[in-house]
Amino acid sequence: MIGIVVVSHSRALAEAAVGLAEEMVAADARPAIRVAAGLDETTFGTDATAIAEAVTAVDSTDGVLVLLDLGSAILSAEMALEFVDPETAERVRISPAPLVEGLVAAVVTASTGATLTEVAAEAEGGLAAKVEHLGETTAPPGEAPSGAPDTASPGAVEGPATEVVVRNPHGLHARPAAALVSGLRGLDATVLLRNVTLGKGPADARSVGKVATLGLLPGHTLSATFSGPDADAARERFLGLAATDFGESGVATADVPTPAEPGPSSTADPSRTGRQVVLAPALVRGAAVDTASYSPGTATDEKGRLESAFAAVAAHVTELAATAGPQRGIFEAQEALLGDPYLADGLAADTASGSPATDAVRTRFAAVAADFDALTDPYLRERGQDIRSLERQVLLALMGTTEQAPSDTPHILVVDELDAATAAGLDPATTLGVVTTTGGATGHGVIVASSRGIPVLTGRSEAQGVAEGTLLGIDPGPGTLWLAPDAATQDTIRGLAESRNSEATAAATRAHDPALTTEGRRVLVEANIASLADATAGATAGADGSGLVRTEILFAHHVTGPNAATQAAALVEIGKALGAPITVRTWDPGGDKPLAFLETDGEANPMLGERGLRAMRRYPDVFAEQLRGIVAAAREVPVRVMFPMVTDPDEVVWARSVLTDVLAEHPDPPSLEVGIMVEVPAAALRADEFAPLVDFASIGTNDLAQYTTAVDRGNGRVAALSRPSSAIWALIFMTCTAFGDKPVAVCGDLASDPDLTATLVGLGVSELSVRPPVVALVKEAVRRV
Amino acid sequence: MGADKAGAWMADFAAQIHDNADMLTDLDRQIGDADHGSNMDRGMKAVAALAAADFPDSGAFLKKAGMTLVSTVGGASGPLYGTFLMRVGGAWPVEDSAEGIGVALRAGLEGIIQRGKAEVGDKTMVDALTPALVAYDAAAGEGTQAALDAAAKACAEGRDGTTPLVARKGRASYLGERSAGTQDPGATSVTMLIEAAARTLA
Repeated sequence: MIGIVVVSHSRALAEAAVGLAEEMVAADARPAIRVAAGLDETTFGTDATAIAEAVTAVDSTDGVLVLLDLGSAILSAEMALEFVDPETAERVRISPAPLVEGLVAAVVTASTGATLTEVAAEAEGGLAAKVEHLGETTAPPGEAPSGAPDTASPGAVEGPATEVVVRNPHGLHARPAAALVSGLRGLDATVLLRNVTLGKGPADARSVGKVATLGLLPGHTLSATFSGPDADAARERFLGLAATDFGESGVATADVPTPAEPGPSSTADPSRTGRQVVLAPALVRGAAVDTASYSPGTATDEKGRLESAFAAVAAHVTELAATAGPQRGIFEAQEALLGDPYLADGLAADTASGSPATDAVRTRFAAVAADFDALTDPYLRERGQDIRSLERQVLLALMGTTEQAPSDTPHILVVDELDAATAAGLDPATTLGVVTTTGGATGHGVIVASSRGIPVLTGRSEAQGVAEGTLLGIDPGPGTLWLAPDAATQDTIRGLAESRNSEATAAATRAHDPALTTEGRRVLVEANIASLADATAGATAGADGSGLVRTEILFAHHVTGPNAATQAAALVEIGKALGAPITVRTWDPGGDKPLAFLETDGEANPMLGERGLRAMRRYPDVFAEQLRGIVAAAREVPVRVMFPMVTDPDEVVWARSVLTDVLAEHPDPPSLEVGIMVEVPAAALRADEFAPLVDFASIGTNDLAQYTTAVDRGNGRVAALSRPSSAIWALIFMTCTAFGDKPVAVCGDLASDPDLTATLVGLGVSELSVRPPVVALVKEAVRRV
Repeated sequence: MGADKAGAWMADFAAQIHDNADMLTDLDRQIGDADHGSNMDRGMKAVAALAAADFPDSGAFLKKAGMTLVSTVGGASGPLYGTFLMRVGGAWPVEDSAEGIGVALRAGLEGIIQRGKAEVGDKTMVDALTPALVAYDAAAGEGTQAALDAAAKACAEGRDGTTPLVARKGRASYLGERSAGTQDPGATSVTMLIEAAARTLA
């Protein structure tokens, strides 16, 4: 027979309830019952240790049912199970039944020798008789037990939750969050958002800061509840916004900055490749705004000053948004942050309680920035700089000044972080370069500056505390920073700058000519492409084709796998824009590039997991559909196909068999060269086994270096260990040797460095696929080999 | 070694609770069952009666303090504070360090969340402790004192932020909307705990 424990805040209540229940059955048929209630006869309370003792006392192999009243009784009972023997805990059930009704039902049922499950079910149904009698329909048996505040609470007015999966490539960071907030503005509705995946929230959808700090990353489930008069309209708008990925639909590629591969630089000046060497005095900006001389007024004064300062900054940001072109979203997000009601409420509360406006701004902005800084996603974390940028602007406005415009004499700007507003205001003719002391490579400011052809070195702590006017030199190619170089070094830098400059200009004039080595060997210099914009940029830059079309980025915004026709159309568009052959890499999901339409199940070590072709073995239909799209595109433009992350020749045999089946669907199949990516050291070491299976190889030096040196390039502490060395050269040489006359390309970052061109060509590489802005420079480098 | 600092922490907290017991009970009267101050005072008196010097280390002492609260507080704060201190004690660093203490406090918060199943925004002590630990971690690089000071400040802000919230956990949740407008008693007492830590642990 099972045992029963009664937990209540009141010992008298528990004992009386037991007395009532025991009346129902004969004394010799009663189950063992213990009371764990009250701290003593008269003190209300529950005690986990007393409950544990009671459970142990009535325990048998048949199990124990715990009935309890409310509140701490539940917590204490759960805790008690951690104190008892684990074997006992396994057979204890805590019942959600109402105490008196449940206990009576339980005692009666237990006395018949029923199992724990049967007794528990009867106890939970203990309300049925009362419900039936009173005709109450809102609490069916087994539901809505008396102690369930989530459903019983009159405070639960949120309404049902609507859930969507976040598909934005960087999650709901500041820009899409701003789109969501502004999209819901003007409605009389309370919208609460939660990150279901992480269990974070709720966050008020009126606050960009709160929404962004839910840490919603791609694949996370966002749930929203709506209440208030306009709840239905709010739900409609929310779904509409979600359907367009909160304003990022279809712009995923243009909008995704990746540190390794900045987008095309829109530079009219051919020498402005973002690689130019510059030498100029330091202009130090971004030191803390000095508010020591601020003289606070009355609370009302402070409120007014704060409002004027906000209005001034908002006007400035709005102006920037209007002229920022593709980077507009960054400033729209800042506008939304300025309108954040939580920030405004906090500031109002501070000034009302006598804080000077400057203190209030520092405190409240720091709190919001800290929320971002606490996030684990590096991309989201860097959004904290947007907040600091706004804080700075508001403080300057309060001090009655604005950011001192950088002087018109040429200089290198030294800042802690490069915020977008500053970057957008830079004149490339005077600000020759930027050095950040703490910022990372994916900040908004870096993106804006790079797109304007200004070289940026990020995270250079050695520049911290450099004095205004100190001569600085930067070479963004190898990432060299010269602090106060001596006269001889200055000459070297100037020489380097001049030659780099004339090289770029000279290279541009021959950008569209083929690149032949001094021995007359043709080396194809191609563009890496992840968007139609890249293809256009590649064509302008004189690319001989594309050695890498990154399909997983091209279609990253698709939630469901794009069908063959969609893929074919996009590839044909790219092929036509480039006007030259393209090399399409099949889906390369996993690692740092999850695909929304392929499930990833949280591998412990994704970089060594089911990446690239490995994942296709699990999703053969997705793979076949992509090959259908590639084959269809190949009927209209010249296309090659290559498989990423191959390790074993069997994988290639399998992939080719799928391709053969797809080609067999056409009565007149197009010709299609097939290649492999060499990025796993094993593939290079076994290149002689792969060579007979394919038409070409393409070396992904980023991954190859990472896997060869066991270094995560994103980890600044070890990144230097992955720099090019004889280890990589040996693997490239092995591949070239094994492939003989078959083409071997390099499409990793190494290919984009003109200083390494001679080495790569010397090892036998016949194609270099590079960032579009450096096509001309690499072609020139080939001509010198 | 002993448990001197942890002992001082608990003694300071016990004094705070005792001095503010009426205020805590009064807050609880408005949105709960008017026992938070008296319950915590009873429990912390029992903790203060433990001889910290008799324990081999702070971890062991804090675990015992947690167990003591479990059997003497009576209300929901018993299992919640008890879990917190037992988890903190269990994760206490061998060598005191800002990082180690942060890890221990984080373990305590996780225990509370696991026990009470509360989320940020439910108007509970979690609303004060969560930002406190975020602030702690952010300042941990500057040492234990700086981290605890930052935590205490953020904890107090979190506590203040519970006033407009509608309770979704515990007895106060029965009041629904009527629970808005009163500062949460649990968030109030847990702020005293973190403030006591800032005065004693560094």
